[in-house]
Amino acid sequence: MKWKLPYLSTRGNMAKPGFWAGLLIILLVLPLFIKSPYLIHIINMTFIYIILTVSFRTIMTSGQLPLAHAGFMGIGAYVSAIAAKWFGLTPWLSIPLGALVAMGVGILIGYPFARLRAVYYAMISLFFGMLILSAVKAFAKWTGGAAGLTAIPPLLGFSKVPYYYFFLGLTAVSLLVLYRLEISRPGVTWKAIAQSHLVAASVGINEARYRIIASAIGCLFAGIAGATYAHYNTVVGTTSFSFMATIMLLIYVVVGGVGSFIGPIVGVFLLMTVPELLRELREYVPYISAAIVLIVVFLMPKGVTGLVKSFLSWLAELWKSRRTSDAP
Amino acid sequence: MLLELHKVSKHFSGLVAVDNFDMSIGAGELVGLIGPNGAGKSTIFNLITGVLPVTKGKIIFDGEDITDKRPHEVAELGVGRTFQLNPLFSDFTVLENVVASFHLRPKSSVLSALLNTTTYRKHEASIKEQAMEILKLLGLDKVKDELGKHLPHGHRLVLGIARALAVKPKLLLLDEPTRGMSLEEIDLALGAIERVCQQGVTIVLVEHNMEVIDFCDRVVVMSFGRKIAEGSIDQVRKNEEVIKAYLGDINAA
Repeated sequence: MKWKLPYLSTRGNMAKPGFWAGLLIILLVLPLFIKSPYLIHIINMTFIYIILTVSFRTIMTSGQLPLAHAGFMGIGAYVSAIAAKWFGLTPWLSIPLGALVAMGVGILIGYPFARLRAVYYAMISLFFGMLILSAVKAFAKWTGGAAGLTAIPPLLGFSKVPYYYFFLGLTAVSLLVLYRLEISRPGVTWKAIAQSHLVAASVGINEARYRIIASAIGCLFAGIAGATYAHYNTVVGTTSFSFMATIMLLIYVVVGGVGSFIGPIVGVFLLMTVPELLRELREYVPYISAAIVLIVVFLMPKGVTGLVKSFLSWLAELWKSRRTSDAP
Repeated sequence: MLLELHKVSKHFSGLVAVDNFDMSIGAGELVGLIGPNGAGKSTIFNLITGVLPVTKGKIIFDGEDITDKRPHEVAELGVGRTFQLNPLFSDFTVLENVVASFHLRPKSSVLSALLNTTTYRKHEASIKEQAMEILKLLGLDKVKDELGKHLPHGHRLVLGIARALAVKPKLLLLDEPTRGMSLEEIDLALGAIERVCQQGVTIVLVEHNMEVIDFCDRVVVMSFGRKIAEGSIDQVRKNEEVIKAYLGDINAA
């Protein structure tokens, strides 16, 4: 995978204001044309999972595989839900609280975990994810245990459309923050650590510190995704925060392309949104997903995004050579 | 003295890799650290830069005790280094490698990067400029857009030096800079080392290649973790202990 540092090259596609203004307008008027609440619901879930998956990849860019990421979504969800349901806090305050607790836990475990690298880090974070779920089941009085927590106070009532605009704004801000970090000094430093921690330390990079910063930011956004999800869905259960849920995030990232910022967004869209839309195919979704993953892993090492990029640059090359050969 | 090692020892669970090693390096010197394979030369570098913990002894750099400092802290004080086999940020281009290495001076906070403040943008612009200067100085500017992993061996080493220069080092430690290089590549490497020297950077290098050692002001010879000789190259060449270390004890045979 090639880590591109867009701030060094001339402004890339991501920075074209016209494209983003157009996309924003389309997204703003979209609910006017969609009458089905179910469809709006799918889009809302897509927004939540985009925040979750992009923040998952942010931690990955620092060379860590955070297999507790869905668990951190759970921390945000349960903390916020419990604070609102049992302590009467308004969701507008309980959501930031849940997100901050998720970030705090991320920082706390970051210190001991920063000693471990690669597969050892992945393993310890996997166990931590399991620990979170055990805690949820152990404190069933507060969390509802395996049966799930119901009747969580909603953030914006029970209609889907207000949430659409809420999640649209939240996703835009989250992506802006994470993209800004990715293309600036912190992102460069994360990628440097991921490529060689030895070389990174030799130029003065504090590896532990930057890995903890990556985890903290990733967990913050996982917490935001979880907490908003809890007050949108009003019901939360442990399955959404399990190890399998994290593996799904990993699959979204790998299929979309880990080397690019929009990779996880493409992955969520292809493997979560599209199968949801094709409801008749639903029971085949696991098989189709598995087939897509295999195809990507064997044929597209840079994911779908990488393939599209290669194709575009191939087209550009072709166009250039045409033009030069046309010239006398 | 810029760097002083006082009776430094390193034990690897029973094995004594470095034994009561003393060494002093003055500012502006170019010193060669030589010795047979396994003598402990690279271990000395790893002890100075904090990659390995020191078992016994003391390391003073520029008046500060750095014995227990971690690698990034040692770099912050002004010690740059390269590694054997020249690892690099292989998915970054040559320019990106050096830009990423400008972590310390100027330093930007995560928040200023997130908010893209004027100071942050100024810092990044000056970093890019300085990185280009370093690449020009070392003759890497022609390959600045090559990916690290596509670089030939000789360029990899020079890139390692370029990266180390981003730390703005007072002391540069080069671990076998010409290992496995062709004659042409050695010329490239020597040219780079010479130019860094002219900038007033103190250099200690581990080397087997005598052509490189001839450049040094002074050499320190190690064998089995101990210092067995020190002085000018001619002095060391005549030293019996050194001959014994390299060729074996002729009388014992």
